[in-house]
Amino acid sequence: MSLNASLSIAVQSLNAASGALQATNNNIANANTPGYTREVPVLQSQAPISIFGPGATVGDGVELTKFQSVRDELLQTQVQQETSSQSSANAQLSSLQQIEPTFTTSTQDIGTEMTALFSSISTLSTDPADSGSREAVISAGQNLADALNTASNTLTSQQASLNTQVTQDVSQINQLTKQIAALTPQINALEAAGQDGGTLEDQQDQLVLSLSKLTNVSITQGSDGVTLTTGNGTALVVGNQSFNLQTTTGNDGMTDVLDQNGTDITSSITGGDLGGSIQTRDTTISGLLTQLNTLANQFASAMNTAQTSGYDQNGDAGTDFFAASGAGGAISAGNITMAITDPSQIAASSDGSSGGNGNLVNFTNIQSTALPAGLTPGDAYANLVYQVGSLTSNAQAESTASTSTLLQLNDQLSSVSGVSIDQESANLIQYQNAYEAAARVVSTLQDMFTVTMSMGTAAAE
Amino acid sequence: MRITSLLPDIQYQMQQSQQAMATAEQQVSTGLRVNQLSDDPAASANMVVSLAESANIDQYTSNVNSVLPRMQAAGSALSSVVSSLNSAISLGTSGANSDLQAAQMQSIAAEVQSDLSSVISQANTAFNGVYLFGGSETTTPPFVAASTTYNSSQGSVGSPLTAATPLTAGSVTTISDATTGQTMTFKAQAGDTIATLQQAVTNAVSAGTLSAGTAATINAQGQLSIGTNNASDGIVVSTDDAALGTMSADPTTAVSNAYAYVGNGAVNSVQVGDSLSVAMNLPGNQLFTSGANVIGSLTSLITALQSGDTSQVGTAVNSVSSALTYVSNQRVPFDGAINQLNSEESYLGQEKVTLTTQQTSLVGINLADAATNLSQAQLDNSAVLAAAAKVMPQTLLDYLH
Repeated sequence: MSLNASLSIAVQSLNAASGALQATNNNIANANTPGYTREVPVLQSQAPISIFGPGATVGDGVELTKFQSVRDELLQTQVQQETSSQSSANAQLSSLQQIEPTFTTSTQDIGTEMTALFSSISTLSTDPADSGSREAVISAGQNLADALNTASNTLTSQQASLNTQVTQDVSQINQLTKQIAALTPQINALEAAGQDGGTLEDQQDQLVLSLSKLTNVSITQGSDGVTLTTGNGTALVVGNQSFNLQTTTGNDGMTDVLDQNGTDITSSITGGDLGGSIQTRDTTISGLLTQLNTLANQFASAMNTAQTSGYDQNGDAGTDFFAASGAGGAISAGNITMAITDPSQIAASSDGSSGGNGNLVNFTNIQSTALPAGLTPGDAYANLVYQVGSLTSNAQAESTASTSTLLQLNDQLSSVSGVSIDQESANLIQYQNAYEAAARVVSTLQDMFTVTMSMGTAAAE
Repeated sequence: MRITSLLPDIQYQMQQSQQAMATAEQQVSTGLRVNQLSDDPAASANMVVSLAESANIDQYTSNVNSVLPRMQAAGSALSSVVSSLNSAISLGTSGANSDLQAAQMQSIAAEVQSDLSSVISQANTAFNGVYLFGGSETTTPPFVAASTTYNSSQGSVGSPLTAATPLTAGSVTTISDATTGQTMTFKAQAGDTIATLQQAVTNAVSAGTLSAGTAATINAQGQLSIGTNNASDGIVVSTDDAALGTMSADPTTAVSNAYAYVGNGAVNSVQVGDSLSVAMNLPGNQLFTSGANVIGSLTSLITALQSGDTSQVGTAVNSVSSALTYVSNQRVPFDGAINQLNSEESYLGQEKVTLTTQQTSLVGINLADAATNLSQAQLDNSAVLAAAAKVMPQTLLDYLH
C-alpha cells in the first residue's frame, strides 16, 4: 500500500469521525426537541485491497454512508393510539367534571329541592288554611322546577360547548392533514436518494401524534408515503393529498361531521378529543338528559294527578300543579314550571272544605311510589347521581390509566429513539478520540513522507 | 432498558404524589371522604336517599312539634269540658231536689248556663289562630249563637230581590241548624237563581238536614230571608254570593242557649312517620252535638231547671251524665294519639341519630384516618422530591473534566 493510499484512509477516518461528531452534536442540540429521533452515523468499512499480492489484503478504510434515525414504528403507532385514547378520556372527563357539581347532594340540587317540596306539603298538612304554608309549597315547587331547569341547562350548555369543540377539532384536523400531506413529497425525495427521512419524518410523526390527540387514525406506510384514515376508513391523507372533513348542523341541533363526499361520519368517529367530545355529547349527556326529562315529566304528571284529585281553598277542583313553560308541549326538565302561582289554588282538601288536608296524602305518597319508569322520584334522582359519579369516576380512571400507559410507552420509545446526554457525551469522547487518532495517522504519514522524500537527498549527499 | 431521561417519570410521580396530598388535605379540612360524586358514586347515591330520609325525619319531628301542642291544648279544653259537665251534673242533681224554691232552681239554672257557656268557650278554643273543634274549618269559631232569622244585605224595598234574581256561579251558601246539628251547603251553578236556593232549602227540610219550618223567602224589605217558624229552632246562615251580600242575623230573633255548628265533620290527619299518621283533630259536631249531645243535654238541663220540673231535671241530669261518658270515651283515642306523638318524637330523635351516623360512614372520614393519610401523603411527596433532587442533576458531564 502506498503512503498516498494510507493517507486516503486517514482522511476517510477523519471525515467519518467528524461526521459522527456532527451527528452527536445534532443529537445533543435536539435532546429536548419534542418528537426528535436520535440519529446515528452509519459507518462502513471499505472493501479490502491487495497490497503485496494475493493473500495479503488489508482494509481500505471507513466510509460514513449516511445518518440513520433510530425508529420503532410499532412503538410509535402504540403511542399514537394511546394518545388518542388519553385525549378521548380527557375530553369526557373535562365535560363530566363540569356537569358533576350540578348533581350534588348538598343544597339547591334536585334531590334537596324535591325533599323540600315534600316537606313543605307535609308542613301544610298540619295547617292547611295557613297562607304562609301554602306560599311555601308554591315556592318549593318553583325551586324544584328551577333546579330541574338548571340541571337541564347545564347539560344542554355542555352539549353546545361540545358542538363548538367539534367544529374546532375538525378545523385543526384539516390543518394537520394538510401539513402531513405537504411533508410527504420531501420525505419521498430523500428516500428515493437512499437517505433517511430524518427530521422531516420526525415532523410528520409529530403532526400525526397531534392528529391522534384529535381523533383515532389508522396509519399505513405505502410507497407513496403515509396513508391516514379515520376509524371507519374515511381517508384523511393519502400520500401527498389531504381530504378535508366538514361540519354541519343536524336536525337535532348538534354539529355533525361529514367526510369529503358529504357523508355523515359522526357516529363512526372514535378516539381523540373529537371522538371523546362526540361520545360525551351524543351518548353520555344525551342519556342523562333523557333520564332527567323522564324524571321531570313523570314527577310533574304525578303531582298534577294528585293536584287534580282534590279541591283548592276556594272549594274548586284542583288544576295542574306543574306545566311546560313557553310554547308548552310535554313537560321536560328544561321547561317545567309552576302551573299555579296563587297559594289558595293548592288542592289540599279532598272534600272541598277550605281547611281540609285529605288530598295532601296523595302528594306525599308520590315520594314513596314508583314512577312509571320504575323508581321513586328520590331513587330516580339517586340513580342519576350514581350515573354521573360513575361516568366521571370511570373517565378519571381511564384518563389516569391512559396517562400511565402512555408514560410507559413513551419511556420505551425514548429508550429506542430518545437522546441520552450521557450516551452522547461518551460518543463525543469516542469520536473525538477517533478524530485525534486519525489526525495522528496523518501526522505520522506526513513524517513518513518527509523521510521518504529525504531518502534520495541523503544518498546524494 | 436504555434510559434517556428520568424527567417525565419524575414529573408524573410528583404530580401523583401532589394529587394524593391535595386529596388528603381536602379530607382533613372537610372531614369528608367523598367531596364529589366521582369520589364514591355508590356512596353519593346512597347519600341522596339518606338525606331524603333525614329530611323526612326532620319534617315528621316538625309535624309532631306543630301538632302536639295543639292536641294538648285540645285535650286541655276537653278536660275543662269534663269539669263543666261534672259541675252541671252536680248542680242538676241538687236541682232535682223537690224541696227547692223556684228562685233557687233559677239560680242553679243560671250556674248551669255558665257551665254551658264554658263548654261553648272550650268548644271554640283556638290555638295559634287555629280553631281546634271545627273539623277542617279552622279559621272561624265552630259554634255560633243561633237565631231564627237571617236576612241578606242585598235587596231593598226599591230594588227587591226576587225568585228570579240570579246567583253567582260557584258561590256557596250554608245554613247550619242548631237543632238538627247539621249543615246544608248550597253551591250555586251557572243559571241558578234565588228560586234554586229556595228549592234547595225545601229539599233540606224534607231530608231532615234543616228543622221543619225552615224556609227561604223574600221579606217585605225585598231581602232574602232565611229562617224558621219555630222560636226554639236557631240557625246560622252565611254566604259569599255577591248577589245576596252578607247574611246577618236578625238581632231580635236570637235563640237562647242555641248554638249552631258551622264547622264540618272532617278529620285532618298528619303524617309523623313513614307509615304513621295520626288524626290531629276531633270535629266539634262529633264531640258536642252528636251521640250523647253535650250542648243539647246542657240546654235541656237549663230548660228543665228553669221550668222547675224536678222530673225533667232528673232526666236531663242523666242525659248530661251520658254526655260526660260520651266525651270521656271520645277522649280515649285522642289522648292515645297524644301519647303516640310523644313516643314518636323520641323515636324520630333516635332515627335522626342513626341516619346521621349512616351519613358520616357514607361520606365522612375519621379525623385520625384523615390525618394519617395526610401525613403519609406528605411523606410520599417528600420522598418523591428527595429522589428527584438526587437523581436529576447526575450526568456524565459531572465526571468529565
